[in-house]
Amino acid sequence: MPWSNQGGGNGGPWGKGGGPWGQGPSSGGQPPGDFEDILKRGQDRFRQAIPGGGMNKGLTTLLVLLGLAAAAFYLCTVRVNPDEQGIVTRFGKFDRTLTPGLNLRLPYPIEEVYLPKVTKVNPTEIGRRGGVTGQGAADDSLMLTGDENIVNVDFVVNWQIRDAEKFLFNIRDGEEFLAGGDARTVRDVAESAVREVVGTSSIQPILTQRAASEQAVRDLIQKTLDSYNSGIYITQVQFLPVDPPSQVVDAFRDVQAARADQERLQNEAQAYANSQVPLARGDAEKILQEAQAYKERVIAESSGQAERFSKIYEEYRRAPDVTRQRMFLETMERVFGSMDKIIIDQKQGGSGVVPYLPLNELARPRSDSNPGGQ
Amino acid sequence: MRVALTTLLVLLGIAVVGVYSSLFVVHQTEQAMVLEFGKPKKIIEQPGLNWLIPFVQTAELFDRRNIDLDALPQEVILADQKRIVVDTFARYKIVDPLLYYQTVRNESGAQARLNGFIEASMRRVLGAANINDVVRDKRQELMEDIQAQVNVEAKGLGIKIIDVRIKRADVPEQNREAIYARMRTERQREAAEIRAQGEEQARRIRATADRQVVVTKAEATRKSEIIRGEGDAERNRIYAEVFSKDPDFFNFYRSMQAYEQSLKSGDTRMVLSPDSDFFRYFSNPAGSIPKPGSAP
Repeated sequence: MPWSNQGGGNGGPWGKGGGPWGQGPSSGGQPPGDFEDILKRGQDRFRQAIPGGGMNKGLTTLLVLLGLAAAAFYLCTVRVNPDEQGIVTRFGKFDRTLTPGLNLRLPYPIEEVYLPKVTKVNPTEIGRRGGVTGQGAADDSLMLTGDENIVNVDFVVNWQIRDAEKFLFNIRDGEEFLAGGDARTVRDVAESAVREVVGTSSIQPILTQRAASEQAVRDLIQKTLDSYNSGIYITQVQFLPVDPPSQVVDAFRDVQAARADQERLQNEAQAYANSQVPLARGDAEKILQEAQAYKERVIAESSGQAERFSKIYEEYRRAPDVTRQRMFLETMERVFGSMDKIIIDQKQGGSGVVPYLPLNELARPRSDSNPGGQ
Repeated sequence: MRVALTTLLVLLGIAVVGVYSSLFVVHQTEQAMVLEFGKPKKIIEQPGLNWLIPFVQTAELFDRRNIDLDALPQEVILADQKRIVVDTFARYKIVDPLLYYQTVRNESGAQARLNGFIEASMRRVLGAANINDVVRDKRQELMEDIQAQVNVEAKGLGIKIIDVRIKRADVPEQNREAIYARMRTERQREAAEIRAQGEEQARRIRATADRQVVVTKAEATRKSEIIRGEGDAERNRIYAEVFSKDPDFFNFYRSMQAYEQSLKSGDTRMVLSPDSDFFRYFSNPAGSIPKPGSAP
């Protein structure tokens, strides 16, 4: 076979950047006209080469042979990139799967090679238009929840081709996807699945516990796609921020604000409590200390008084009468000394004096002269 | 010689054309039916290279894959008189190419017929269900019911329905506002409740704090009274102990103190009798007591 002798040919012009082999499924290669042309010209050269036999002719012959070998190499091999899998059909029937590297094949009309990228993770976005999350703009992301609310769920489904043969031959997406189209099956199934999951849930878990919903949607999509024998593997379902529709989003935000308010009120009250209770404890301590002070004062005072009495009593006991009289007189001296006194002798005609106490007048001058009293 | 060569070439040409036109490829994704003058001759289900008699037989190719059919969204009135817009899609397969060819001929024909079946059976099935069944409780069962019904009809077209799924079951545009209004009021209710709960908690905390304040002070007051009482008791004990040594002297002593304390200067006027004991030497240096008990 010609290609097996062409080890040196690999380093030639065909090695550059993969040449024409890189262009997807090689469905025919170059137009047949070119090929025939080359052949014809080659034959001409060959014919010329035989009679002449010169050095120049020999070189031409060699070049022609090289060209032929190159064409054969191009037609009979296929390069599978590391991220691809080669699926070969012979006369339309699935024949074999090629692994990455250089693989042999039969030329076009007999065998066809499809090169789906099996390691690539493909994102299918639902509810997002042009990379911008359309808040309420995209109708297809509004859905009913189990408690008859409406939420806006935008999400991305990441998927991979797990079984290239099934993917290509069991669903139409294979063909369309290789041609650069969208995977409609994934989109349809995902839309159906997400609504089924959202429909069985109430609004709150969808808004707050996204991970569980995501997992449920993923599993449901996978199950459905498996039942189609699609060969698609869902790597991940990712909800973009789930919002209530714009018409009601303010009310939902207000609930958040209410939660914050609740916390704030509690914190304020706690702050009040935290400031009041220690104050009260301080006050209580003050009351106790005052009482303690009173107790100690009273005891000290009474002890002092008792001591004083004891001392006086000691003295008194030595000369009771004199001391008593002295004390009486001294006291009276102090008492009467600074006092207004009226002495009435009732014995010597004192009966004529009617003791008259002008209580009003008595009270008046006193309050004038001594306002601080009373 | 020349004529023979030409003849050979012509024959070769005819042979090539003949071979080329008698070969056809059935791709992995296809199945084929061979017609002889329009009469179905055989059905080829296996992909690969096949022969037919040129000009006599023709081949019709049909898809062998799982084909998707996106039905148009329909507004359906449910059993509970609620309206929803239902968007479905179906997956089907051509299982009987002959029947398929005879009844619908091609894909657009098939899809038109299937669309009709799906719409009709969807109306039948969903019309007997209420909104909670469709959205929440019986979605799967309803989808299976529709699939089963459509499948029966589709059999007549040589088609097998693999799946019918409700893609969307949404409230129509004009009914959404009502739901939004309800959602708003629900949230308002929730927000009010949360705020009230916050207020409740706050009041609870404040009241507890206030109670603690009062209780703490009261407790302190209680203790302080006990302490004061102890002090008073101690004072009484000390006094009693000391004063009981000589009650008579104590009476005198304490009276003297009391006089001095209570009869402060300036605020007392006294009307005295010279008979008083204090004045016993007033008129009599011997100090005979004139009459007892004339103290102020």
